[in-house]
Amino acid sequence: MSEYKGPPAADPGALGVGTSRGGSAMLVAQSGLAPRHGRAGGILGGLGPLVRLLQGWISTYFSLLLLGMMALAIGLTGVQHGVTLMGEQIKNALVLGAIYALVAIGYTMVYGIIELINFAHGDVFTASGFYAFGFASLFHLDSLATGSFGGLILALVIVFPLSMIAAGVTGALIEFVAYRRLRDAPRLAPLITAIGVSFLIEGIMLVVEGPDNVTTHMASWINGEAFSIAGVSVGYTDLFVIGMALVLMFALGAFVRRTRLGKAMRSTAQDRTAALLCGININRTISATFFIGSALAAAAAIIYSINYGVLKWNIGFHLGIIAFTAAVLGGIGNIVGAGVGGFLIGIIYVFGGSLFGGEWSEALIFAVLVLILTFRPVGLFGVEVTTRA
Amino acid sequence: MALLELAHVSKRFGGLLAVSDVSFNLDRGEILSMIGPNGAGKTTAFNCVTGLFPITSGSITLDGEPISGLPPHRITKLGIARTFQNIRLFAFMTAVDNVMVGAHWWMKERVWDGAFRTGRARREERSVEQRALELLDLLGLSRYAGSYAREMPYGLQRRLEIARALATQPRLLLLDEPAAGLNTQEKKELMQLIARLRDEGLTILLIEHDMRLVMEVSHRIVVLDHGEKIAEGSPADVRTNPRVIEAYLGTGASNEMQSA
Amino acid sequence: MPDRFRSLFRADTGQGQRTRGNTVFWILSSTAAALVLMGWLLPWFVDAYSAGAGFSPQDALISPPTGVGTILIYVLAVTMVILVASPLVEPLARLRGTTFGRRADRIRLIAALVGFALTVVIWFLVSVIQEEPLFGSFGPGTYTDSAVWLTMYGYALAALVYGARPWVVGRQTLAFGIAVLPFGIFLPLMFHQAPDFLDWAAGSLAIYMLLALGLNVVVGFAGLLDLGYAAFFAIGAYACASFASPTHNIHWPLWILIFLGAAIASLFGAVLGAPTLRLRGDYLAIVTLGFGEIIPDLATNNVFNLTGGPNGISGIDQPKFWFLNFSTSPRWYYWSLLLVSLVVIVLLRNIERSRVGRAWVALREDEVAAASTGINTTTTKLLAFAIGASVSGLAGAFYGSIVSIVSPDDFSFSVSIAVLSIIVLGGIGNIAGVILGSFILTFVIFWVLPNMNEWSTTLSQTVHVPGLAGIDFSSYTYIIYGLALILMMLLRPGGLLPSRARQIELESGGESESLAAVQGVA
Repeated sequence: MSEYKGPPAADPGALGVGTSRGGSAMLVAQSGLAPRHGRAGGILGGLGPLVRLLQGWISTYFSLLLLGMMALAIGLTGVQHGVTLMGEQIKNALVLGAIYALVAIGYTMVYGIIELINFAHGDVFTASGFYAFGFASLFHLDSLATGSFGGLILALVIVFPLSMIAAGVTGALIEFVAYRRLRDAPRLAPLITAIGVSFLIEGIMLVVEGPDNVTTHMASWINGEAFSIAGVSVGYTDLFVIGMALVLMFALGAFVRRTRLGKAMRSTAQDRTAALLCGININRTISATFFIGSALAAAAAIIYSINYGVLKWNIGFHLGIIAFTAAVLGGIGNIVGAGVGGFLIGIIYVFGGSLFGGEWSEALIFAVLVLILTFRPVGLFGVEVTTRA
Repeated sequence: MALLELAHVSKRFGGLLAVSDVSFNLDRGEILSMIGPNGAGKTTAFNCVTGLFPITSGSITLDGEPISGLPPHRITKLGIARTFQNIRLFAFMTAVDNVMVGAHWWMKERVWDGAFRTGRARREERSVEQRALELLDLLGLSRYAGSYAREMPYGLQRRLEIARALATQPRLLLLDEPAAGLNTQEKKELMQLIARLRDEGLTILLIEHDMRLVMEVSHRIVVLDHGEKIAEGSPADVRTNPRVIEAYLGTGASNEMQSA
Repeated sequence: MPDRFRSLFRADTGQGQRTRGNTVFWILSSTAAALVLMGWLLPWFVDAYSAGAGFSPQDALISPPTGVGTILIYVLAVTMVILVASPLVEPLARLRGTTFGRRADRIRLIAALVGFALTVVIWFLVSVIQEEPLFGSFGPGTYTDSAVWLTMYGYALAALVYGARPWVVGRQTLAFGIAVLPFGIFLPLMFHQAPDFLDWAAGSLAIYMLLALGLNVVVGFAGLLDLGYAAFFAIGAYACASFASPTHNIHWPLWILIFLGAAIASLFGAVLGAPTLRLRGDYLAIVTLGFGEIIPDLATNNVFNLTGGPNGISGIDQPKFWFLNFSTSPRWYYWSLLLVSLVVIVLLRNIERSRVGRAWVALREDEVAAASTGINTTTTKLLAFAIGASVSGLAGAFYGSIVSIVSPDDFSFSVSIAVLSIIVLGGIGNIAGVILGSFILTFVIFWVLPNMNEWSTTLSQTVHVPGLAGIDFSSYTYIIYGLALILMMLLRPGGLLPSRARQIELESGGESESLAAVQGVA
């Protein structure tokens, strides 16, 4: 055991470095050793603490504020336009919310697993709407579905799986061709590619389907009023849309929680390297994620088509951004959150429209998006976590 | 008065208390080492001091002025510079540019000066470049001045990081495992460099696993374990502290300590 | 794809400088070849503007010139063949491992000089002296000036490229500038016979070039993805429209408005950026996308009665400086835009090399280290955002004045994507690349595609294929943007003319962790 000798004396020459040039050269700027004062820089700097306090406060109570404002909007609509319209709007919000929720799940799953905003997802939605339209005309499902109840069930049993598989394959193919090679590239690269894929799909649909609305006839599949409460007529279509969305979401929940593939997805999302080391086939898991997300988007597109009866080459773009907002609202990466967020966004969209006028709905959604990302990027139900040290 | 003062600093990540009620002072011109097993919270403490993490409770003051809650760049302006455990250089900038980034905050050149290349801006650019080259020269890096940081040998990258930190004109330098991955010769040079920085008046806070280096250069040592400070004192004290040997060194590592 | 094939299209990262120089060289030499060729083919394309044909091969085939002077034309054809072949031959030779020596370059240089001289001589004989006997059926009006200009330009470029190869390879940015600048300046003179080409040059090429230069600051220098860039363009255009139209009865001159547009746009940029620039990169992308959608929405909804609703604002003043009347020809717009672009290029290049430019690179590479080295990440990003926005606003003011009517549809998401595609195609972070990208993309999207409708209709009548007549080629725009973005990112992420560091960065994939992520803010 050697004795403690204390720090050795400085011997610049022994550094083996060129100190020859002017022996007085100093490593440490002597002027820098003087005390300095951390004056707040600039005008905004002085406001810093105040702004931070305000921001912290809004972040903490963001969920309450937003939910409160939504309740207020619903109430105001009731007061302004009467209870019947309010009920009608709630129904519309739920129908729209069901579609957003299904699309949002695709965004959230992909973001959760490879941290990519899949801009193409909204366009996969549109494309699968056209797939369904194609299958419906190919197998003459329109007459089958409107003929009898059994025919309707048969038509649905044909169109749902086929379109979902086609869309799933599309989604997985997009991942394989466009994103896989860029998985370890800087973030900017896959993001730009995703926009490219989005534009490519939109462009193809524009060329194939034309620039105008396309009527799909699927709106005539389900008809009639199921019941009415307080003057609000609830159709079978509405029930079907909401019911189908819920069934699919629960099925997905069970799949992710119970199956091996679901577990593989969750572990890949948490730590890709660790998952790889545990023998999980990362590529297959990611492909499966894209497949499932896109298949859900296809389901959303079919119920959209059944509900509204028209498609257009670019509807997926705006719908996609709104659904992405829903995913962020629910906490990106959180599947349940995306489902709930979808319905919340549906309410914001419909009631914002009825309060400020329909032309403001989209601007309102974007404003909500900016606000969430600024004040509560972890989403309404997320817990703030700091990543690695 | 102490230059840097940590008083009851805690940092919590969710359920994990990474730093728990740690207090210590750092006097001017002193070299204080922080040691402890992996995951003891040393780097977390560094990140708290440099403003990368907001602290959960407690206070950090520099020269009597509270710095906790300030953003990292403001803390750098107040005179704290640091290096990183896993080297964080600007990989695709040249060595001299890396060092010049260190001069960013004290350069007077504004955007319009740069845009119109005013005489003032050009003069300042030249003098800062001169200073950067001088720093590189003093650290034995002048051969690599024009190469990309990532093309440099590992040991020199560590030294370049120190050069960048010195360019910010710090009063206090935080070195996070500067000897990691260095060979014996490089470690010896590092030791001399630290001694020289001390002689020129710089205060240094050091995290290091290499006990020989720690024992030789430090005036005092703080030992962390599981986020708590378990010992503080001169190298001789710490080495003989039974709690340190028991909690930190364990059985196998105590031999390393003995041989140091 | 075998590596040796890939090396043809992709600059080698290992030995950056040399192969990159080769890329620029290849681009310039093939441009020269294309121009020489285009000059010959052009009369055929633009025969709407000139009575007949010209130096074009097929015309020579249909009615071969018969006079003694014909020999000159065949000599010219030989020079053309040499110059068109060499950029094709060279990569093939590289594949086989052989290189062309100095002698080959000397032959090409001679061919270029001879070609240049012959073009001048023939043009002089045909148009000025009208030597009918020399060329038989040739006569005035049987060629286009544009063809002559382009041919001469191509030969001059070839002479530069082959005559000074080491210099071109060594100082490629300068070489690129010298090659491009005269083309930019003389463009309105070259194509004075084609008015819609001038409209394209002023309204599309020059405007998009400015836009791309501005976005390049945000995406290329600072590494922030801004998908709502068209919003600032809209703000500039609406500013111009409000202050120079009968709508509010204010008539300010354009040169004030471009500064005003720039100032207002950068103000908006700062206001948008201040809360959002702390976010991670991909969140920033979607927030800016949202902003880009909100601004046209506001304009459509006629907020505060300022924007004229969906119809927009019309009757914007056409500036008049002294004797220059902008309304008579777009060429004055084009030249003023060119001048402004040059000033912008010089300023941006200076900034890129200054203290702030260094801070941008540092931020892009490692935000955490940058913050710990004393860089204020938020204000530095904000600066990039505001500078980018101001250039966009400036372009917007010009645009408003050129088209004299602005409406919300002009500023849709596809404008932002067009600008993004330009910089991705040209080379993210490299000004020369951005210029190249804006030329290629705007030429294809705003000149070739709209004209394709007409060409294909004509072609369908000539060859009697009715299917060709009905195609709307402008609907292929989206596909082109999409393919440009995907293919460039997959195959050549640095762009056609990559900036060296940016290219390695994008290809090597050093992931930079954002400060926000580390601090747990976002």
